[in-house]
Amino acid sequence: MSEEVKVGGGAPAWIIKAPLTINWALNNSCNFKCKHCYSRVDGNDELDLESLCAAMAKVADMGVLAVNFGGGEPLLRSDLKEVAACAAQSGLQVSMNSNGYLIDRETAVALKTAGFAKIGISIDSHVSERHDSFRGVPGSHERACAALGHLADAGIRTSISTVICKINHMDVDDLISFARVHGAQQINFHNFKCSGLGMANRDELDLSPQEWRVFYRKALAAKENGAGIDISFDDPIIASLGLKGGAGSIVKGSVCGKLSLNIKSNGDITPCGFIPIVIGNIVRDDLAVIWRESQVLDRLRHKEPTGKCASCSSYDECLGGCSARALAVTGDFNNPDPHCWEE
Amino acid sequence: MAARIMRNPDVLWREEDDARDEAQAALEQGDDVSEVGTSLLFANGQMVVLNLLGTEIWKRCDKKSVAELTAELLAEFDVEEAILREDVSGFLAELAEKGFIAYE
Repeated sequence: MSEEVKVGGGAPAWIIKAPLTINWALNNSCNFKCKHCYSRVDGNDELDLESLCAAMAKVADMGVLAVNFGGGEPLLRSDLKEVAACAAQSGLQVSMNSNGYLIDRETAVALKTAGFAKIGISIDSHVSERHDSFRGVPGSHERACAALGHLADAGIRTSISTVICKINHMDVDDLISFARVHGAQQINFHNFKCSGLGMANRDELDLSPQEWRVFYRKALAAKENGAGIDISFDDPIIASLGLKGGAGSIVKGSVCGKLSLNIKSNGDITPCGFIPIVIGNIVRDDLAVIWRESQVLDRLRHKEPTGKCASCSSYDECLGGCSARALAVTGDFNNPDPHCWEE
Repeated sequence: MAARIMRNPDVLWREEDDARDEAQAALEQGDDVSEVGTSLLFANGQMVVLNLLGTEIWKRCDKKSVAELTAELLAEFDVEEAILREDVSGFLAELAEKGFIAYE
């Protein structure tokens, strides 16, 4: 009745008609100073409300189901609620990632009214001092925790987004317990990307391949054992671990350009937020044509194994891992993911 | 009271028009389309492709008991009851394992 489908590499059952979801940077301005920020290097051009509303209608008409706003800190846009309302009225499921600093009770209610179904709050440690230092703003942990409560009270589903790096990779159980205590429905363990300041601070923050393996084994075990909360990963290299509930059920390879796209604050379209290859502009171009005909997307959907990937028995599972990371570190997204622990 | 199926609101799902139309045309020709995907579900890094019947079950299952769902499908599809019950049971078990549905 159902069959698992392999996304990318080999022959998928069919090419889907449109991205399922779009990650959409509304702005690049931010009230934080995160050590891993990837967007601070981008310019400050922003689409106005009218252009954004037209673009939301365009992607909804194509069949896109959801938009996830990011940036920058989306709440620094004074018209965020209007933008969200446009998206929701177009039939899109609306969510965003926020640092939570500006979400008080009144704002949470307004976000619910605007149409937000789900909001992810970035929290990188269960220890407040560690989070505050990483995010560069004293008191940010306390405000983020309060935001989770305000959002839940307003009827918005919440998740915690945690960028895994040196400050937290040993804290899987504590992070899960923390998320449960604060009423989040989900915790997303985001893999560290070598983009923007993430590249500049890579030596300080990124884990070794063996450290990544240890982290994922522990996190996947927690997920399998039923942690009492949804645990989500977005890292294709875990497909090679072969754990029950891991390989075979996780989408193989990066979803970028296969199930999702990214739109920058100026409307430029990229395969994902961490691949700085512009393949069009949402205001100027026909997204359906880009989705079908972009040579960059075609290459991402049909990666060629190189180096150790060429002889690796796990390649069919992970498809070379994170394309963005391979591109950032080696200059070619066909190269092996630098986080990969396979010999 | 029997437990009700609740679709996970975080699941993104969509019918693929071309694939669905092709499957329906093939079905009308008498072909076996059980292996033909016509919609997809995606959440938490997991994706499942559904065939025509799976898609119908997904569309109808929210907030229903398994008995209600099965009765509705029996009334609309020409299928043997025992086989349908088995298929529905297996299908729902897979969706529950992936967290795409829960029971309340």
